[in-house]
Amino acid sequence: MENVLYIALSRQEAMRRQMDVVANNIANMNTSGFKSQRPLFLEYLERPDRRQERMSFVQDYGLMRNLQAGPVTVTDNPLDVALRGDGYFAVETLAGPRYTRAGGFQLNTDRELVDRNGLPVLSDAGARIVIPDGANQIRIKGDGSIETEQGPLARLKVVSFDDEQKMQELGGGLYSTEQEERPVEKPEVTQGALEGSNVQPIVETTQMIDVLRAYQNTQRMIDSEHERLRTAIRQLGRVQ
Amino acid sequence: MRSLSIGATGMLAQQLNVEVISNNIANMTTTGFKRQRAEFQDLLYQNMRRVGSTSSDAGTVVPSGVQIGAGVKTAAVYRINEQGNISVTGNALDLAINGQGYFQVELPDGQTAYTRAGSFQLNAEGTIVTADGYQLQPGLVVPENAVDITVNPNGEVLVKLDGQTQPANIGQIQLATFPNPAGLEAIGDNLLLESPASGNIIAGNPGAPGFGRVIQQALETSNVNIVSEITNLITAQRAYEMNSRVISTSDQMMQSISQMR
Repeated sequence: MENVLYIALSRQEAMRRQMDVVANNIANMNTSGFKSQRPLFLEYLERPDRRQERMSFVQDYGLMRNLQAGPVTVTDNPLDVALRGDGYFAVETLAGPRYTRAGGFQLNTDRELVDRNGLPVLSDAGARIVIPDGANQIRIKGDGSIETEQGPLARLKVVSFDDEQKMQELGGGLYSTEQEERPVEKPEVTQGALEGSNVQPIVETTQMIDVLRAYQNTQRMIDSEHERLRTAIRQLGRVQ
Repeated sequence: MRSLSIGATGMLAQQLNVEVISNNIANMTTTGFKRQRAEFQDLLYQNMRRVGSTSSDAGTVVPSGVQIGAGVKTAAVYRINEQGNISVTGNALDLAINGQGYFQVELPDGQTAYTRAGSFQLNAEGTIVTADGYQLQPGLVVPENAVDITVNPNGEVLVKLDGQTQPANIGQIQLATFPNPAGLEAIGDNLLLESPASGNIIAGNPGAPGFGRVIQQALETSNVNIVSEITNLITAQRAYEMNSRVISTSDQMMQSISQMR
Protein backbone atom coordinates (compact mmCIF):
# COMPACT_ATOMS: atom_id res chain seq x y z
CA MET A 1 0.00 0.00 0.00
CA GLU A 2 2.78 2.48 0.88
CA ASN A 3 4.82 1.29 -2.07
CA VAL A 4 5.33 4.79 -3.42
CA LEU A 5 7.09 5.66 -0.22
CA TYR A 6 9.28 2.60 -0.33
CA ILE A 7 10.28 3.20 -3.93
CA ALA A 8 11.10 6.80 -3.13
CA LEU A 9 13.05 5.67 -0.13
CA SER A 10 15.12 3.27 -2.24
CA ARG A 11 15.97 6.16 -4.52
CA GLN A 12 16.91 8.44 -1.66
CA GLU A 13 19.15 5.79 -0.16
CA ALA A 14 20.95 5.40 -3.47
CA MET A 15 21.22 9.18 -3.87
CA ARG A 16 22.73 9.59 -0.46
CA ARG A 17 25.34 7.02 -1.25
CA GLN A 18 26.06 8.71 -4.56
CA MET A 19 26.60 11.95 -2.66
CA ASP A 20 29.11 10.15 -0.42
CA VAL A 21 31.00 8.96 -3.48
CA VAL A 22 31.03 12.45 -5.03
CA ALA A 23 32.21 13.92 -1.72
CA ASN A 24 35.05 11.40 -1.57
CA ASN A 25 36.06 12.27 -5.13
CA ILE A 26 36.15 15.97 -4.34
CA ALA A 27 38.02 15.43 -1.07
CA ASN A 28 40.67 13.58 -3.06
CA MET A 29 41.01 16.18 -5.79
CA ASN A 30 44.68 16.71 -4.87
CA THR A 31 45.55 13.13 -3.94
CA SER A 32 48.24 11.81 -6.24
CA GLY A 33 47.25 8.71 -8.19
CA PHE A 34 43.61 8.86 -7.06
CA LYS A 35 40.98 7.52 -9.46
CA SER A 36 37.49 8.97 -9.34
CA GLN A 37 34.51 6.70 -8.77
CA ARG A 38 31.00 6.60 -10.06
CA PRO A 39 28.14 4.50 -8.64
CA LEU A 40 26.18 2.17 -10.91
CA PHE A 41 22.45 1.96 -10.44
CA LEU A 42 20.23 -0.96 -11.24
CA GLU A 43 16.52 -1.30 -11.56
CA TYR A 44 15.34 -3.78 -9.02
CA LEU A 45 12.01 -5.31 -10.02
CA GLU A 46 9.84 -6.69 -7.33
CA ARG A 47 6.25 -7.91 -7.19
CA PRO A 48 5.08 -7.64 -3.59
CA ASP A 49 1.94 -9.74 -4.21
CA ARG A 50 0.31 -11.37 -7.21
CA ARG A 51 -2.51 -8.91 -7.70
CA GLN A 52 -0.16 -6.02 -8.30
CA GLU A 53 2.05 -4.94 -11.13
CA ARG A 54 5.77 -5.41 -10.74
CA MET A 55 7.39 -2.39 -9.17
CA SER A 56 10.68 -0.86 -9.98
CA PHE A 57 13.00 0.00 -7.12
CA VAL A 58 16.47 1.38 -7.52
CA GLN A 59 19.62 -0.15 -6.17
CA ASP A 60 23.23 0.91 -6.34
CA TYR A 61 24.90 -2.34 -7.18
CA GLY A 62 28.44 -1.34 -7.88
CA LEU A 63 31.05 1.32 -8.32
CA MET A 64 32.99 2.00 -11.48
CA ARG A 65 36.46 3.39 -11.14
CA ASN A 66 37.47 5.86 -13.82
CA LEU A 67 40.77 4.35 -14.92
CA GLN A 68 41.88 7.25 -17.05
CA ALA A 69 45.36 8.50 -16.23
CA GLY A 70 45.53 11.64 -14.13
CA PRO A 71 47.45 14.75 -15.23
CA VAL A 72 51.20 14.58 -14.71
CA THR A 73 52.59 17.41 -12.59
CA VAL A 74 56.30 18.12 -12.50
CA THR A 75 57.71 18.24 -8.96
CA ASP A 76 61.45 18.11 -9.74
CA ASN A 77 61.88 15.70 -6.87
CA PRO A 78 64.16 12.90 -8.15
CA LEU A 79 62.27 10.23 -6.23
CA ASP A 80 58.84 11.17 -7.56
CA VAL A 81 57.82 8.92 -10.42
CA ALA A 82 54.66 9.08 -12.50
CA LEU A 83 53.25 6.16 -14.46
CA ARG A 84 51.84 7.41 -17.70
CA GLY A 85 50.61 4.24 -19.29
CA ASP A 86 48.98 1.16 -17.94
CA GLY A 87 50.05 -0.47 -14.72
CA TYR A 88 50.73 -0.16 -11.02
CA PHE A 89 53.83 -0.06 -8.85
CA ALA A 90 54.08 -2.88 -6.33
CA VAL A 91 54.88 -2.35 -2.66
CA GLU A 92 55.52 -4.91 0.04
CA THR A 93 53.24 -5.26 3.07
CA LEU A 94 53.00 -7.91 5.73
CA ALA A 95 49.83 -9.17 4.04
CA GLY A 96 51.48 -9.54 0.64
CA PRO A 97 52.02 -7.22 -2.29
CA ARG A 98 49.84 -4.13 -2.69
CA TYR A 99 49.59 -1.96 -5.76
CA THR A 100 49.62 1.80 -6.17
CA ARG A 101 49.89 4.54 -8.75
CA ALA A 102 50.98 7.15 -6.23
CA GLY A 103 54.66 7.25 -7.13
CA GLY A 104 55.94 9.70 -4.52
CA PHE A 105 58.78 7.63 -3.16
CA GLN A 106 61.36 8.35 -0.47
CA LEU A 107 64.38 6.70 1.07
CA ASN A 108 64.12 5.28 4.55
CA THR A 109 67.00 5.04 7.02
CA ASP A 110 68.14 1.76 5.47
CA ARG A 111 68.27 3.62 2.12
CA GLU A 112 65.44 1.47 0.79
CA LEU A 113 63.05 3.02 -1.68
CA VAL A 114 59.70 3.32 0.12
CA ASP A 115 56.33 4.86 -0.69
CA ARG A 116 54.57 7.55 1.36
CA ASN A 117 53.28 4.91 3.76
CA GLY A 118 56.86 3.73 4.34
CA LEU A 119 56.22 0.46 2.51
CA PRO A 120 59.18 -0.86 0.49
CA VAL A 121 58.82 -0.56 -3.27
CA LEU A 122 59.49 -3.80 -5.14
CA SER A 123 61.78 -4.39 -8.09
CA ASP A 124 60.83 -6.61 -11.02
CA ALA A 125 62.70 -9.40 -9.25
CA GLY A 126 60.32 -8.98 -6.30
CA ALA A 127 63.02 -7.59 -4.02
CA ARG A 128 63.36 -4.33 -2.12
CA ILE A 129 65.38 -1.62 -3.82
CA VAL A 130 68.36 -0.37 -1.80
CA ILE A 131 70.27 2.69 -2.97
CA PRO A 132 73.95 2.10 -2.10
CA ASP A 133 75.76 4.44 0.29
CA GLY A 134 77.41 7.37 -1.40
CA ALA A 135 75.16 7.25 -4.46
CA ASN A 136 73.54 10.65 -4.88
CA GLN A 137 72.45 10.76 -8.47
CA ILE A 138 69.42 8.51 -8.77
CA ARG A 139 68.14 8.26 -12.32
CA ILE A 140 64.92 6.44 -13.12
CA LYS A 141 64.61 5.79 -16.82
CA GLY A 142 61.50 5.59 -18.96
CA ASP A 143 61.26 1.81 -18.69
CA GLY A 144 61.49 1.97 -14.88
CA SER A 145 65.12 0.94 -14.55
CA ILE A 146 67.03 2.72 -11.80
CA GLU A 147 70.62 3.83 -12.15
CA THR A 148 73.04 5.66 -9.90
CA GLU A 149 76.47 7.02 -10.69
CA GLN A 150 77.75 3.63 -9.54
CA GLY A 151 75.89 1.82 -12.31
CA PRO A 152 72.55 0.15 -12.96
CA LEU A 153 70.70 -0.96 -9.87
CA ALA A 154 67.29 -2.48 -10.39
CA ARG A 155 64.07 -2.02 -12.27
CA LEU A 156 60.76 -0.95 -10.79
CA LYS A 157 58.08 -3.58 -10.89
CA VAL A 158 55.17 -2.37 -12.99
CA VAL A 159 52.27 -4.80 -13.25
CA SER A 160 48.77 -4.80 -14.61
CA PHE A 161 45.73 -7.00 -14.13
CA ASP A 162 43.04 -8.49 -16.32
CA ASP A 163 40.21 -6.67 -14.57
CA GLU A 164 41.29 -3.51 -12.82
CA GLN A 165 37.72 -2.84 -11.68
CA LYS A 166 37.98 -5.85 -9.42
CA MET A 167 40.87 -4.36 -7.51
CA GLN A 168 39.90 -3.36 -4.03
CA GLU A 169 40.70 0.05 -2.60
CA LEU A 170 42.43 -0.03 0.76
CA GLY A 171 42.98 3.69 1.32
CA GLY A 172 46.38 5.33 1.36
CA GLY A 173 46.45 5.00 -2.43
CA LEU A 174 46.81 1.22 -2.20
CA TYR A 175 44.91 -1.51 -3.99
CA SER A 176 44.80 -5.22 -3.39
CA THR A 177 43.64 -7.99 -5.66
CA GLU A 178 43.75 -11.75 -5.89
CA GLN A 179 44.25 -11.67 -9.63
CA GLU A 180 47.45 -12.84 -11.28
CA GLU A 181 50.06 -10.12 -11.86
CA ARG A 182 50.78 -9.40 -15.51
CA PRO A 183 54.08 -7.55 -16.02
CA VAL A 184 53.78 -4.48 -18.23
CA GLU A 185 56.23 -5.00 -21.08
CA LYS A 186 56.88 -1.37 -21.85
CA PRO A 187 55.99 0.81 -18.89
CA GLU A 188 56.10 4.56 -19.31
CA VAL A 189 57.76 5.96 -16.24
CA THR A 190 58.58 9.64 -15.80
CA GLN A 191 61.02 10.79 -13.14
CA GLY A 192 60.54 14.04 -11.26
CA ALA A 193 56.79 14.07 -11.70
CA LEU A 194 53.67 12.77 -10.00
CA GLU A 195 50.40 11.57 -11.43
CA GLY A 196 47.67 13.81 -10.08
CA SER A 197 44.15 12.69 -9.29
CA ASN A 198 41.88 12.24 -12.30
CA VAL A 199 38.90 13.86 -10.57
CA GLN A 200 37.27 16.40 -12.86
CA PRO A 201 35.92 19.17 -10.64
CA ILE A 202 33.28 20.32 -13.12
CA VAL A 203 31.85 16.84 -13.60
CA GLU A 204 31.75 16.33 -9.84
CA THR A 205 30.03 19.67 -9.25
CA THR A 206 27.32 18.97 -11.81
CA GLN A 207 26.88 15.49 -10.31
CA MET A 208 26.45 17.11 -6.94
CA ILE A 209 23.79 19.50 -8.21
CA ASP A 210 22.10 16.61 -9.95
CA VAL A 211 22.06 14.51 -6.81
CA LEU A 212 20.74 17.35 -4.69
CA ARG A 213 17.88 18.17 -7.06
CA ALA A 214 16.92 14.54 -7.57
CA TYR A 215 16.96 14.05 -3.84
CA GLN A 216 14.77 17.09 -3.27
CA ASN A 217 12.36 16.00 -6.01
CA THR A 218 12.01 12.60 -4.43
CA GLN A 219 11.39 14.34 -1.14
CA ARG A 220 8.59 16.33 -2.76
CA MET A 221 7.16 13.15 -4.17
CA ILE A 222 7.11 11.65 -0.68
CA ASP A 223 5.46 14.80 0.67
CA SER A 224 2.74 14.82 -1.98
CA GLU A 225 2.09 11.12 -1.53
CA HIS A 226 1.74 11.75 2.15
CA GLU A 227 -0.67 14.59 1.38
CA ARG A 228 -2.65 12.34 -0.98
CA LEU A 229 -3.07 9.66 1.65
CA ARG A 230 -4.12 12.16 4.26
CA THR A 231 -6.70 13.77 2.00
CA ALA A 232 -8.01 10.35 1.00
CA ILE A 233 -8.47 9.27 4.59
CA ARG A 234 -10.15 12.53 5.49
CA GLN A 235 -12.51 12.48 2.50
CA LEU A 236 -13.45 8.84 2.94
CA GLY A 237 -14.15 9.44 6.59
CA ARG A 238 -16.51 12.30 5.73
CA VAL A 239 -18.59 10.20 3.26
CA GLN A 240 -19.35 7.68 5.97
CA MET B 1 25.37 12.10 6.28
CA ARG B 2 28.77 10.61 5.56
CA SER B 3 29.40 13.22 2.85
CA LEU B 4 29.42 15.97 5.50
CA SER B 5 32.41 14.49 7.28
CA ILE B 6 34.07 13.58 3.97
CA GLY B 7 33.79 17.21 2.89
CA ALA B 8 35.26 18.25 6.23
CA THR B 9 38.34 16.04 5.70
CA GLY B 10 38.76 17.66 2.29
CA MET B 11 38.59 21.17 3.74
CA LEU B 12 41.09 20.30 6.47
CA ALA B 13 43.49 18.83 3.92
CA GLN B 14 43.33 21.89 1.69
CA GLN B 15 43.76 24.18 4.67
CA LEU B 16 46.98 22.36 5.51
CA ASN B 17 48.00 22.58 1.86
CA VAL B 18 47.57 26.37 1.94
CA GLU B 19 49.55 26.56 5.18
CA VAL B 20 52.47 24.69 3.62
CA ILE B 21 52.36 26.84 0.49
CA SER B 22 52.22 30.07 2.49
CA ASN B 23 55.24 28.99 4.52
CA ASN B 24 57.11 28.39 1.26
CA ILE B 25 56.17 31.80 -0.05
CA ALA B 26 57.05 33.46 3.25
CA ASN B 27 60.51 31.89 3.03
CA MET B 28 61.03 32.75 -0.62
CA THR B 29 64.16 34.76 0.19
CA THR B 30 65.37 32.75 3.19
CA THR B 31 68.95 31.58 2.63
CA GLY B 32 69.22 27.81 2.22
CA PHE B 33 65.48 27.22 2.68
CA LYS B 34 64.08 24.06 1.07
CA ARG B 35 60.51 24.15 -0.09
CA GLN B 36 57.96 21.72 1.25
CA ARG B 37 55.11 19.93 -0.40
CA ALA B 38 52.00 18.45 1.16
CA GLU B 39 51.05 15.06 -0.16
CA PHE B 40 47.62 13.48 0.36
CA GLN B 41 46.18 9.98 0.45
CA ASP B 42 42.67 8.59 0.38
CA LEU B 43 41.31 7.46 3.74
CA LEU B 44 39.86 4.07 4.57
CA TYR B 45 37.07 2.52 2.53
CA GLN B 46 33.93 0.95 3.85
CA ASN B 47 32.64 -2.07 2.02
CA MET B 48 28.91 -1.73 1.34
CA ARG B 49 29.10 -4.63 -1.04
CA ARG B 50 32.28 -6.61 -1.20
CA VAL B 51 34.17 -6.92 -4.46
CA GLY B 52 33.46 -10.32 -5.97
CA SER B 53 30.32 -11.06 -3.97
CA THR B 54 27.47 -12.94 -5.61
CA SER B 55 24.31 -11.14 -6.59
CA SER B 56 21.98 -14.10 -7.10
CA ASP B 57 21.44 -17.74 -6.19
CA ALA B 58 22.84 -18.64 -9.60
CA GLY B 59 26.21 -17.38 -8.43
CA THR B 60 26.40 -14.26 -10.57
CA VAL B 61 29.33 -12.19 -9.41
CA VAL B 62 28.90 -8.44 -9.20
CA PRO B 63 31.42 -6.74 -11.48
CA SER B 64 32.61 -4.37 -8.82
CA GLY B 65 31.76 -3.81 -5.21
CA VAL B 66 30.43 -0.73 -3.53
CA GLN B 67 33.22 0.77 -1.51
CA ILE B 68 32.64 4.16 -0.01
CA GLY B 69 35.70 6.15 0.91
CA ALA B 70 35.92 8.18 4.08
CA GLY B 71 37.73 11.17 2.60
CA VAL B 72 41.31 12.31 2.51
CA LYS B 73 44.24 12.48 4.90
CA THR B 74 47.66 14.10 4.83
CA ALA B 75 50.27 11.52 3.92
CA ALA B 76 53.37 13.62 4.31
CA VAL B 77 54.73 17.12 4.17
CA TYR B 78 58.14 16.50 2.75
CA ARG B 79 61.07 18.73 2.01
CA ILE B 80 62.33 18.88 -1.55
CA ASN B 81 66.10 19.01 -1.21
CA GLU B 82 66.69 20.35 -4.66
CA GLN B 83 69.68 22.67 -4.98
CA GLY B 84 68.84 26.35 -4.64
CA ASN B 85 70.41 29.01 -6.78
CA ILE B 86 73.84 30.31 -5.84
CA SER B 87 73.96 34.06 -5.51
CA VAL B 88 77.30 35.80 -5.23
CA THR B 89 77.56 38.20 -2.30
CA GLY B 90 81.27 39.06 -2.22
CA ASN B 91 81.39 38.52 1.51
CA ALA B 92 84.40 36.36 2.46
CA LEU B 93 82.54 34.31 5.06
CA ASP B 94 79.45 33.63 2.97
CA LEU B 95 79.66 29.98 2.00
CA ALA B 96 77.31 28.05 -0.28
CA ILE B 97 77.27 24.30 -0.77
CA ASN B 98 76.99 23.11 -4.34
CA GLY B 99 75.82 19.54 -3.99
CA GLN B 100 74.73 17.53 -1.00
CA GLY B 101 75.65 18.16 2.59
CA TYR B 102 75.04 20.45 5.54
CA PHE B 103 77.23 22.64 7.68
CA GLN B 104 77.46 21.47 11.28
CA VAL B 105 76.63 24.01 13.95
CA GLU B 106 76.81 23.69 17.73
CA LEU B 107 73.73 24.92 19.55
CA PRO B 108 74.04 26.57 22.99
CA ASP B 109 72.77 23.35 24.63
CA GLY B 110 75.61 21.35 23.07
CA GLN B 111 73.47 19.64 20.43
CA THR B 112 74.62 19.64 16.82
CA ALA B 113 72.32 21.18 14.24
CA TYR B 114 72.69 21.19 10.48
CA THR B 115 72.17 24.03 8.05
CA ARG B 116 72.61 25.00 4.41
CA ALA B 117 72.52 28.71 5.24
CA GLY B 118 76.19 29.57 5.13
CA SER B 119 76.21 33.24 6.08
CA PHE B 120 78.94 33.09 8.68
CA GLN B 121 80.58 35.84 10.67
CA LEU B 122 83.31 36.18 13.24
CA ASN B 123 82.50 36.68 16.90
CA ALA B 124 84.50 38.68 19.42
CA GLU B 125 86.99 35.81 19.88
CA GLY B 126 87.52 35.42 16.14
CA THR B 127 85.55 32.15 15.97
CA ILE B 128 83.48 31.47 12.85
CA VAL B 129 79.81 31.57 13.91
CA THR B 130 76.40 31.69 12.25
CA ALA B 131 74.24 34.81 12.15
CA ASP B 132 72.79 33.63 15.48
CA GLY B 133 76.26 33.30 17.02
CA TYR B 134 76.33 29.50 17.01
CA GLN B 135 79.77 28.00 16.38
CA LEU B 136 80.57 26.25 13.14
CA GLN B 137 81.86 22.72 13.83
CA PRO B 138 84.70 21.80 13.91
CA GLY B 139 85.52 25.11 15.58
CA LEU B 140 87.71 27.46 13.59
CA VAL B 141 89.43 30.53 15.04
CA VAL B 142 90.74 33.19 12.72
CA PRO B 143 93.86 34.86 14.17
CA GLU B 144 93.66 38.55 14.92
CA ASN B 145 96.36 39.50 12.45
CA ALA B 146 94.70 37.74 9.50
CA VAL B 147 94.07 40.02 6.56
CA ASP B 148 92.44 37.66 4.14
CA ILE B 149 90.35 34.52 4.53
CA THR B 150 90.02 32.00 1.72
CA VAL B 151 87.85 28.90 1.85
CA ASN B 152 88.66 26.54 -0.97
CA PRO B 153 86.13 24.16 -2.56
CA ASN B 154 87.43 21.31 -0.39
CA GLY B 155 86.61 23.24 2.76
CA GLU B 156 90.13 24.15 3.81
CA VAL B 157 90.23 27.55 5.49
CA LEU B 158 93.37 29.47 4.58
CA VAL B 159 94.29 32.83 6.05
CA LYS B 160 96.98 35.24 5.06
CA LEU B 161 98.64 36.67 8.13
CA ASP B 162 99.91 40.22 8.23
CA GLY B 163 103.53 40.36 7.09
CA GLN B 164 103.65 36.80 5.76
CA THR B 165 103.53 35.68 2.14
CA GLN B 166 102.42 32.04 2.58
CA PRO B 167 98.80 31.47 3.58
CA ALA B 168 98.32 29.47 6.75
CA ASN B 169 95.83 26.60 6.99
CA ILE B 170 93.72 27.13 10.11
CA GLY B 171 91.42 24.17 9.70
CA GLN B 172 88.97 22.19 7.67
CA ILE B 173 85.21 22.63 7.33
CA GLN B 174 83.38 19.30 7.43
CA LEU B 175 80.01 18.64 5.89
CA ALA B 176 77.37 16.21 7.08
CA THR B 177 75.09 14.03 4.94
CA PHE B 178 72.33 11.65 5.93
CA PRO B 179 70.89 8.47 4.40
CA ASN B 180 67.50 10.22 4.20
CA PRO B 181 67.96 14.01 4.35
CA ALA B 182 64.20 14.48 3.84
CA GLY B 183 63.75 13.01 7.32
CA LEU B 184 65.71 15.73 9.13
CA GLU B 185 63.68 17.63 11.68
CA ALA B 186 63.41 21.37 11.06
CA ILE B 187 63.58 23.54 14.17
CA GLY B 188 63.44 26.95 12.49
CA ASP B 189 66.26 29.50 12.22
CA ASN B 190 67.46 27.59 9.12
CA LEU B 191 68.48 24.72 11.38
CA LEU B 192 67.78 21.02 11.11
CA LEU B 193 68.26 18.23 13.62
CA GLU B 194 69.08 14.56 13.17
CA SER B 195 66.03 12.32 13.67
CA PRO B 196 65.26 8.59 13.64
CA ALA B 197 63.94 9.09 10.11
CA SER B 198 67.03 10.80 8.75
CA GLY B 199 69.45 8.08 9.84
CA ASN B 200 72.84 8.66 11.40
CA ILE B 201 75.11 11.45 10.28
CA ILE B 202 77.90 10.72 7.80
CA ALA B 203 80.60 13.38 8.04
CA GLY B 204 83.12 14.11 5.33
CA ASN B 205 85.16 16.79 3.67
CA PRO B 206 83.62 18.91 0.94
CA GLY B 207 84.54 17.63 -2.50
CA ALA B 208 84.71 13.99 -1.38
CA PRO B 209 82.36 11.65 -3.29
CA GLY B 210 78.81 12.20 -2.08
CA PHE B 211 79.55 15.60 -0.58
CA GLY B 212 79.08 18.96 -2.24
CA ARG B 213 81.76 21.54 -2.76
CA VAL B 214 81.98 24.80 -0.88
CA ILE B 215 81.71 28.04 -2.79
CA GLN B 216 83.11 31.08 -1.05
CA GLN B 217 81.58 34.56 -1.30
CA ALA B 218 78.21 33.15 -2.26
CA LEU B 219 74.99 32.06 -0.61
CA GLU B 220 72.46 29.41 -1.56
CA THR B 221 69.06 30.99 -2.06
CA SER B 222 65.83 29.18 -1.25
CA ASN B 223 64.62 26.70 -3.87
CA VAL B 224 61.07 28.06 -3.80
CA ASN B 225 59.68 28.50 -7.28
CA ILE B 226 57.19 31.29 -6.94
CA VAL B 227 55.19 30.55 -10.09
CA SER B 228 54.50 26.98 -9.10
CA GLU B 229 53.66 28.07 -5.55
CA ILE B 230 51.06 30.52 -6.80
CA THR B 231 49.45 27.97 -9.11
CA ASN B 232 49.41 25.46 -6.25
CA LEU B 233 47.79 28.11 -4.09
CA ILE B 234 45.05 28.68 -6.63
CA THR B 235 44.43 24.94 -6.97
CA ALA B 236 44.27 24.57 -3.20
CA GLN B 237 41.85 27.46 -2.84
CA ARG B 238 39.50 26.08 -5.48
CA ALA B 239 39.65 22.62 -3.97
CA TYR B 240 38.80 24.15 -0.60
CA GLU B 241 35.80 25.92 -2.09
CA MET B 242 34.56 22.75 -3.75
CA ASN B 243 34.77 20.85 -0.49
CA SER B 244 32.78 23.53 1.25
CA ARG B 245 30.26 23.19 -1.56
CA VAL B 246 30.01 19.47 -0.74
CA ILE B 247 29.19 20.38 2.84
CA SER B 248 26.51 22.89 1.88
CA THR B 249 24.95 20.41 -0.56
CA SER B 250 24.87 17.71 2.11
CA ASP B 251 23.34 20.27 4.41
CA GLN B 252 20.58 21.02 1.92
CA MET B 253 19.85 17.31 1.57
CA MET B 254 19.54 17.04 5.32
CA GLN B 255 17.40 20.14 5.42
CA SER B 256 14.91 18.60 3.03
CA ILE B 257 14.61 15.63 5.37
CA SER B 258 13.98 17.82 8.37
CA GLN B 259 11.22 19.64 6.51
CA MET B 260 9.43 16.37 5.86
CA ARG B 261 5.88 16.45 7.09
